[in-house]
Amino acid sequence: MTSTTIAHGEPLLQVRNLDKSFGGMKAVDDVTLDLRAGIVTTLVGPNGAGKTTLFNLITGNLARDSGEVEWLGQDIAGGKPHLIARRGIMRTYQDLRLFDSMSVWDNIMSATEYGLLPMPMSSAARHRRKERIEEVLERTGLSDKRDTRALDLAYAERKFLSMARIMATEARLWLLDEPASGLDPNSYERFLKILRDDREAGTTICIIEHNLDIVIGISDRIAFLDRGRLLADAEPDTVLNDPELAKIYFGDQS
Amino acid sequence: MLALQLAVTGLQTGALYALTAVGFSLIFGSTRIFHFAHGATFAIAAYFFYFVFQAGFGTVPAILGASAGAIAFGLLIYWLVYVPVQRHEGSFFTVFVASFGVGIAVQNLLGMVFGRGFVTVNTSLSRSSEILPGLYVAPLAWVAIACAIVFLGALHLFLRHTHTGMALRALSDNPELVRIFGLSPQRISAIVFVIGSVLVVPAAIITSATTGLNPAIGHHVMLISLAASIVGGIGSVYGTLLAGLILGLAESMALLFVASQWTEAVTFAILFAFILIRPSGLLGRATAH
Amino acid sequence: MEAYIFNLLNLIAIYGILAVSLNFIIGYAGIYSLAHAVFFGLGAYTSAWVGLNVTPSTFVTIPAAMLVAAIVSLVLALPALRVRGEYFVAASLGLQVIAVTVFSEWKSFTGGIGGVLAIPPVNLFGAEIYQPREFAIVSVIALLIVIAITLALVRSSFGRNLRAIRDSESAAASFGKNVPLIKTVAVVISAALAAVAGALYASFISFINVESFMLDTSVLLMAMVIIGGTGTFLGPLVGAALLLILPSAISYLSFLPQTEIGALQQIIYGLGMTLLMIFRPGGIVGRRSGT
Repeated sequence: MTSTTIAHGEPLLQVRNLDKSFGGMKAVDDVTLDLRAGIVTTLVGPNGAGKTTLFNLITGNLARDSGEVEWLGQDIAGGKPHLIARRGIMRTYQDLRLFDSMSVWDNIMSATEYGLLPMPMSSAARHRRKERIEEVLERTGLSDKRDTRALDLAYAERKFLSMARIMATEARLWLLDEPASGLDPNSYERFLKILRDDREAGTTICIIEHNLDIVIGISDRIAFLDRGRLLADAEPDTVLNDPELAKIYFGDQS
Repeated sequence: MLALQLAVTGLQTGALYALTAVGFSLIFGSTRIFHFAHGATFAIAAYFFYFVFQAGFGTVPAILGASAGAIAFGLLIYWLVYVPVQRHEGSFFTVFVASFGVGIAVQNLLGMVFGRGFVTVNTSLSRSSEILPGLYVAPLAWVAIACAIVFLGALHLFLRHTHTGMALRALSDNPELVRIFGLSPQRISAIVFVIGSVLVVPAAIITSATTGLNPAIGHHVMLISLAASIVGGIGSVYGTLLAGLILGLAESMALLFVASQWTEAVTFAILFAFILIRPSGLLGRATAH
Repeated sequence: MEAYIFNLLNLIAIYGILAVSLNFIIGYAGIYSLAHAVFFGLGAYTSAWVGLNVTPSTFVTIPAAMLVAAIVSLVLALPALRVRGEYFVAASLGLQVIAVTVFSEWKSFTGGIGGVLAIPPVNLFGAEIYQPREFAIVSVIALLIVIAITLALVRSSFGRNLRAIRDSESAAASFGKNVPLIKTVAVVISAALAAVAGALYASFISFINVESFMLDTSVLLMAMVIIGGTGTFLGPLVGAALLLILPSAISYLSFLPQTEIGALQQIIYGLGMTLLMIFRPGGIVGRRSGT
């Protein structure tokens, strides 16, 4: 992981004129966006707006057509997903993609290790890693489930395991794809607390979210995408009070 | 002239491969059952024909015997092996191992009953005549090609124009849909096994009169069918047909360049290359992942 | 009788190594290979060639066998990185068929159909071990070492990486794992361990030919793993023992005609595979079914 220091609020990841089309349909259309250090940027927009595609382009899961993605000033677009992850950009998936056959503990553990062969670790380092996983289990409420197979968890527990995996890593930027969708309101508080605490600890977060309570509760900035285009990127109040955007977002329901 | 001779032989072989492979592909495409014992169906049909024919009952009863043997085996393995295995969500590999086990048992059973040596059915149709200077073709070659056209044409009409045929094509995409149409997926699957088994009968009979039989023949036939259905595109009946012809031709034409021991390797080198370069096959729409 | 028991034990240990090394990729990486007998054969031929032409020392023949199998296994890794399920099975099957042709035709290395004769026995520091009883010590120790290696790998971060990739390749990559590299290394390790079994087999039987390394053997090995229970430790061993003892037991039934014993063994073995898949699809030792 890179350890370049960067001031709070300065751009950590810069997306420049990014384009991606699928068979003539522009999924991401000339998007330019900064993800600033230490703050939470929320991506909102109707379904099919290109939010997940944007994530996939940043993480290397998809190849861009044109445009740049700069991480601490270095162009990373076109890199392989595992190398981009090792730079400190990690993500969750909307469909979770847990390691289903593995226990909760092993899921979290495996998220933190990517060396090909087992590395010798000092007992102090081993101890620190164990502490860290314990802390993550505690914060996600999964302490009692540590030996349960991921496949056997309840829905909300699976969502929190998806969070726990990324929390245990050293990643500096989290890209979270609808991490709260389908959660019951009781879980919202736990979820918001996780995000606030980690933002406090210096993590930069970009989150795709539909639920307005969560959007309002956590966002420092909101970026609004529609049909691949970035329509707004501003303070929450500005975006949320824009009648034009509300019309696009809520359609005829309003 | 050698090239032309090999091309005609290859076309004959390819027609037989196509018939067998299409049966396998149809079964796999619509039921997702990896019917490795399809080769055993072939061997059973061939030996039943051989047995009835050698006993002096004549060609037509022998053909009926071969068909009855193939259909009975196809239905029995479906009901007795695949249905129970699939009951516990049998994975691809449990089905495969179960099917392979049946194949081994059949091969050895045939060996015990009919002997392990090579046997050939002698008919006047297998004698080659010189139709062009240096080009020898047996009438059976035309029979093989005609059989392939008739049987696969009938299959085409069945799949396109009958209610059952359309339900059968829908089976692979959505078993629920078949149920909604008031048909039982298990019944349709049984029909698929009957059709797939019938398709090998002409190939088996012609093989018994041309290259001859031994109990291990099912094995070779199965490998070719598998290769053809992948090269053609899994689940694509027409792709498999095309691939069967191509593999038959390739196996024969390869003799221009390599010794005969290498022809099987040529077939599988083609298969290997296809999986690496174009896993969806010639006409397949499915992707590998 | 005693020699017979030790012979059987040696075969169980050798096939146990093959089943354990195959289970390493089937059970943990989800790579269902039908080409394991290729690496068994490569190990046997290589160690026989080295034993006859270079030195009979087992400390040379086994590493040479492992090296050759490891290099050739890169050909199998290629489709493993690109395709899954029936496509990979077909690719591995293709490799198996091609290898059988090469084994039958490359006479200077494999002796062709006739095979290789008079292969030197296991030679440890100049001491030759060919009695079944003494060889059993060697083969069982080798089996234990192979088990220890795979167990250590599976329980380490490498094993977690493998299972993570099997469960979700994209998520594994998103956590920084080099998916192609990890899969390739798994295939290479599995092939190299299979070559150990090949080297032991060649020096124990002292005669090898292509018959032992055909598709049937690959399927037998897959059956051992699936029948025993994929992804378990005891499973492959139980499967290997069962599928070797089952057919050999019937050769003691004296009322059977001697000429048909071989065929009957095969029939029982074939039907045994089928019945086990119907009644114990998750394997004898397996905890879950149908993964």
